[in-house]
Amino acid sequence: MDKLETADLMIYAMSREIENNNTVLHGVSSPLPILAMSLARKTHAPDMAFVSGAEGVDPDVERIYLSSFDPRQNRDAVGYFGLHEVFDLAQRGELHVMFLGSAQIDRYGNTNLSVIGSIDNPKVQLPGGAASAFLMPITPKVVIWSARHTPRTFVEEVDFVTGQGYNHRSQEQMKNEMTIVSNLGVMNFKNPDRVMQLQSYHPGHSIDEIRRNTGFDLRVAPDVTETPFPEPQIVELIRAMDPDGIRATEFG
Amino acid sequence: MRKALCGLKEAATLVKDGDVLTTGGATFHRAPMEFLREIIRQGKKDLVLVDREPAIDFDLLIGAGCVAKVRAGLLAFELLGFAPNFRKKAESREIITKEGACQPIIAGFRAAAMGIPSLTVRGMLGSDLLEISEILGSQREVEDPFTGEKLIAVRAIEPDVAVIHAHEADEYGNTRIEGPVYEDVIKAKAAKTVIVTAEAIVPNEEFRRKPEATKIPHFLVDAVVHAPNGAYPCSCFNRYDVDYDHIREYIAAVNNDRFGKYLDEHVYGRAGLWTNSKQRI
Repeated sequence: MDKLETADLMIYAMSREIENNNTVLHGVSSPLPILAMSLARKTHAPDMAFVSGAEGVDPDVERIYLSSFDPRQNRDAVGYFGLHEVFDLAQRGELHVMFLGSAQIDRYGNTNLSVIGSIDNPKVQLPGGAASAFLMPITPKVVIWSARHTPRTFVEEVDFVTGQGYNHRSQEQMKNEMTIVSNLGVMNFKNPDRVMQLQSYHPGHSIDEIRRNTGFDLRVAPDVTETPFPEPQIVELIRAMDPDGIRATEFG
Repeated sequence: MRKALCGLKEAATLVKDGDVLTTGGATFHRAPMEFLREIIRQGKKDLVLVDREPAIDFDLLIGAGCVAKVRAGLLAFELLGFAPNFRKKAESREIITKEGACQPIIAGFRAAAMGIPSLTVRGMLGSDLLEISEILGSQREVEDPFTGEKLIAVRAIEPDVAVIHAHEADEYGNTRIEGPVYEDVIKAKAAKTVIVTAEAIVPNEEFRRKPEATKIPHFLVDAVVHAPNGAYPCSCFNRYDVDYDHIREYIAAVNNDRFGKYLDEHVYGRAGLWTNSKQRI
């Protein structure tokens, strides 16, 4: 698969994490989440509430831009809802799905977006976690996407816990779900130990290959399967919103 | 009502060395760029910058040597990559970074807007960010006195100055913003001094004709500046779009040791207001 096909497959997988009637938010630098949310609304989740980081509610995303906050993405929105208002909603438990990124992720789902090396003497100063530390433990479903599934990104232990995995949560927060969609497969934590397991491998990639590209001993779900590739009409919907292929940017 | 309209240079003198400064907008949208270029021309030093998700606004001030500390939830150039000056100077320890998270920063502004010393928020517990914040004294774990729930108390953030670029203002400081408002109104309530730069100065009667369109009333505003294209190269909704090509040039300049030349050309070389007519729509 080329970059665009991989992106399309990931977008399709991410869109299926959204249920009809969900209230869903995307943040900054989020081309895949925007396309996944738009796709879900055009297909299986027509009644979802789409809240954009650009503040538009239920916009008709004609196309995406290099900035995920570009106000042109708010076309045909029914209204505006500011981030502080969405955060109020999240504290009430009424923001159902959030998409977040990661530079490193470990077996418990801890994410690092802050620093490679130590915080006092960074090897790489990363951009920062934005809403991760706030939303990860309290949102019923968090979907993390990663365009680079390697042993350097899927690590034994993150250098810094920006977003909280299952070993950094209260008992009550353990019920909140996390799904990881990478360029190689889909992972979740649906086991009693709450550790990462492979739920599906993308076409063209094997379970062994994915385990080799993971920096810890990745479990495999008993019902592991192949990730479905989107039907041509689904791919067409995605491509119409991103004719320039901005969604391939993250794939290096 | 007191007249607040003044020139760009005069308004920028309200910013003092060492001030805590926040800017309106988010990432590449409606940042008060022309005002920040004037701050650089006036050689301000040791500023402490705080915002939820800034981008080229903070990076430009950092690159020009105006900044001592940065506190942000995320500081990057969206899909164009790292904020180049921020990354360089953070890694070389020329600036102090205090990473926050979006919600505590917004809650800090809200606490200041409400006139209370702190505000509690959910989440955050279990993140290493909280440890840093506790050391800095900006956040602390607390127990809600009524339910016993463990929460985070965020200390109020009261900026010395908030600078907001808006669509329309009158000479008294009444301000209209079209489209996304971000935390601009909260910041206007939270800051000690509020400066509005506006695409257009319109008669006071315009505001009286449609008061519901007023986002910031005059008594919150200390200075108003007429700054057409004042957000450029960032967007100003309904007026002009982001100039992504300019931002690419900016990144290339920093990464190829040509940032001094960039400043000469785009900041020091322009004493007056930016007028790039091709950006108008």
